[in-house]
Amino acid sequence: MSEEFFDREEFVQYFKDETDELLQTVDASLLRLESFVDADRIDPEIVNELFRAMHTIKGSAGMLGFNEVQELAHRLESIFDLLRKDRMPLSQQSIDLLFEGRDILTALIRALTGEAIVPEGVEGYMERLESFSSLYETAAAIVGEQSESKSGPFEERLDASAEEIAAFEAEVARLLAGPDGDRTAASAVGEPLPQAPALEHHGDAARPAAQPRQEQRRNLSQTIRVDIERLDALLSLVGELVINRTRISDIAATLSRSLSEYKDSAVNSVIEPLAKVLADSAGLLARTTNEIQEGIMKVRMVPIGQVFERFPRMVRDLSKARKKEVRLEIHGADTDLDKTVVDEIGEPLMHLIRNCVDHGIEEPAERLALGKAETGTIRLNAYHEGNQIIIEVGDDGRGIDLARVRKKGIRQGLIAESDKLSDREIMELIFQPGFSTADKVTDISGRGVGMDVVKKNIARLKGTFDIGSVEGAGTTFTIKLPLTLAIIQALLVRVGGELYSIPLDSVIESQRVEMSDVRTVHGNEVITLRGAVVPLLRIGEFFGLGTARDPEKVMIVIVNMQGRQVGIVVDSFQGEQEIVIKPLSDVIGRITGISGATILGNGSISLIIDVHSLVSEAYALGRVARAEYAAV
Amino acid sequence: MQEKEAKQLSGEMIQVVSFSLGDEEYGVDIAQVQEINRMVQITHVPRAPHFMEGVINLRGQLIPIIDLRARFGMARAEHTKNTRIVVTEIGSKRVGMVVDAVSEVLRIPVEQVEDAPEMISGIETEYIRGVGKLGDRLIIMLDLQRVISASEKRELESVDAAVPEATAVS
Repeated sequence: MSEEFFDREEFVQYFKDETDELLQTVDASLLRLESFVDADRIDPEIVNELFRAMHTIKGSAGMLGFNEVQELAHRLESIFDLLRKDRMPLSQQSIDLLFEGRDILTALIRALTGEAIVPEGVEGYMERLESFSSLYETAAAIVGEQSESKSGPFEERLDASAEEIAAFEAEVARLLAGPDGDRTAASAVGEPLPQAPALEHHGDAARPAAQPRQEQRRNLSQTIRVDIERLDALLSLVGELVINRTRISDIAATLSRSLSEYKDSAVNSVIEPLAKVLADSAGLLARTTNEIQEGIMKVRMVPIGQVFERFPRMVRDLSKARKKEVRLEIHGADTDLDKTVVDEIGEPLMHLIRNCVDHGIEEPAERLALGKAETGTIRLNAYHEGNQIIIEVGDDGRGIDLARVRKKGIRQGLIAESDKLSDREIMELIFQPGFSTADKVTDISGRGVGMDVVKKNIARLKGTFDIGSVEGAGTTFTIKLPLTLAIIQALLVRVGGELYSIPLDSVIESQRVEMSDVRTVHGNEVITLRGAVVPLLRIGEFFGLGTARDPEKVMIVIVNMQGRQVGIVVDSFQGEQEIVIKPLSDVIGRITGISGATILGNGSISLIIDVHSLVSEAYALGRVARAEYAAV
Repeated sequence: MQEKEAKQLSGEMIQVVSFSLGDEEYGVDIAQVQEINRMVQITHVPRAPHFMEGVINLRGQLIPIIDLRARFGMARAEHTKNTRIVVTEIGSKRVGMVVDAVSEVLRIPVEQVEDAPEMISGIETEYIRGVGKLGDRLIIMLDLQRVISASEKRELESVDAAVPEATAVS
């Protein structure tokens, strides 16, 4: 292929993006495959998926002339092929070898774009891999021969091949050890290769045949990659489209109004049908424009699972390195958030999870002694709350030893011996640059970088970060991030001539209440709702909009804030709508009670009410009494 | 004619967009002006600093609008058909300023720009980069960065001021 006809750099980047995704899949699948080690049957779909991924990488690399990548992918593919055809038993050693291969492959691909240096020992690894797979290819051939020549029962065949298998086993252990593979050598000696399951599989005639390759590859090409800047450009173009759409609708409306005033005119007969068509087209244009707008917004949203994908592998490697038993539970992987946020959140989460493995989870013996399950659990959880996304990273480990943190803080000169600190303030020490409780530096953590980086990164995303810890029971890190460009359902309300949006997930209900049902507690207005006393907040007055009170009724939106209910008094309800949150410019600064703004379909702006800060501030200023206590 | 005069002094000129506030003429560097718009619907933002008129939708972007009269402590004026919004871009920030009227694009010789005098009609001099002389006209050259950043500063001050009040009540 001539390089003159395409932008090589672009292709390399494309190749890297594509393979990154595939390598993530490989990682996830290898982890699942690992649970089948020494099992009687392997889920064939997992091996098929691995085979397909490797095959795709091989193909793309070949096309672009990345021979080394192609070669390695090819050899790994052969291993998966052997596994797929049940010609190779799945042992811990082979899994480790495959993980190693995956890492070398990743490094090779990174090196293509100059992100990393070309890893050492690639050739050595390839040789080991090659010998490993060729061994089983031979093994399969021998076993195959024997099962053909011998027609006796299964046990006999097993006996007959046992000798050869033992020989391969020794050879495999030697090859796995490799020239520099201390780790694999140690484990290879400890665990003999299981042979019986593989042979059993081999004898199983009812095994379904492998699917045709074309069909297997189809699923991999269902997505395309788009530069986010192109999306943003589209988005602002749509904005202009929306304005023009409104203009055309207005013209259509004006035209039909004017026509009704000249009913007898001869011109009327010509123009009226045209006006009708124009009105219809304007309507269609309006609908289509709305759909395009919403569509583009949604394209920017991606599930946070994209970030979570890499963690199971990381936890596996870390816990192995630290000789701990750790299980990673993931919840809410399908929680959507803006692409830009997703891109930034990976690193902070990685630090937190490392911290859980290294500092949180105890060693198995210690856990057993404490009456805990041998396997520690790290929970990764994501969900939407209000117009924020909450990400929790929690462990059931030893929690934060406040006395120890304090002591370290003093030793590292962060605080003075005489300082009286609350538990909270002691915990805050963890975020100080350079702080570390680890007694020795490991490759996982202890170098004192981490928590301050986490905090900084989260602050940059305009999020907040909190630690909850119970000594002996575990630690939970909570990250709250605003959805800076998220679509939410909102209730539109009119207050003092302007339209405000209240995020629907904090709204419990909206209702009209007669003034005769409004009572006062300590001078603050309240209503009773199903037995509960709900304080009212007249938002127009709070915002100083000069709204007049209606002597007969109040229109109330009941919102929930941390289990407390508050009734926000508005002028009227204007229905529900999906809105896009846009931040207010930092030139305006932070405004209590307002979290951002949105542009409505007709081009007008609606400010979004920040229920949380509005209600807390109203309480703080005494505009809303803590009526629920007063009324009891 | 003015241009001719200028060229006799030196080749170096600055280009400014000039506009009026009351009887005074102001100028901002043309490179910082993105566009000049007629008055549009401004959405009021409650609890924003008093000179913050609100926000507008400029082709899908939210642009904060400063009432320059309020910013400079002058009496607010009714919007007329001459009222304009000058959309400026400083760094990555876009801000619109409401002005009484936009006059023209002027070329002022650099030599004709003097440092700001101590006090000009009550406007704090920190926003003024200099005063340009063009014939018998005086053009007050604004330092937009200051106009905007000072508004942030003031906002922060007002937030700080609000905190003790809030804690005192609760």
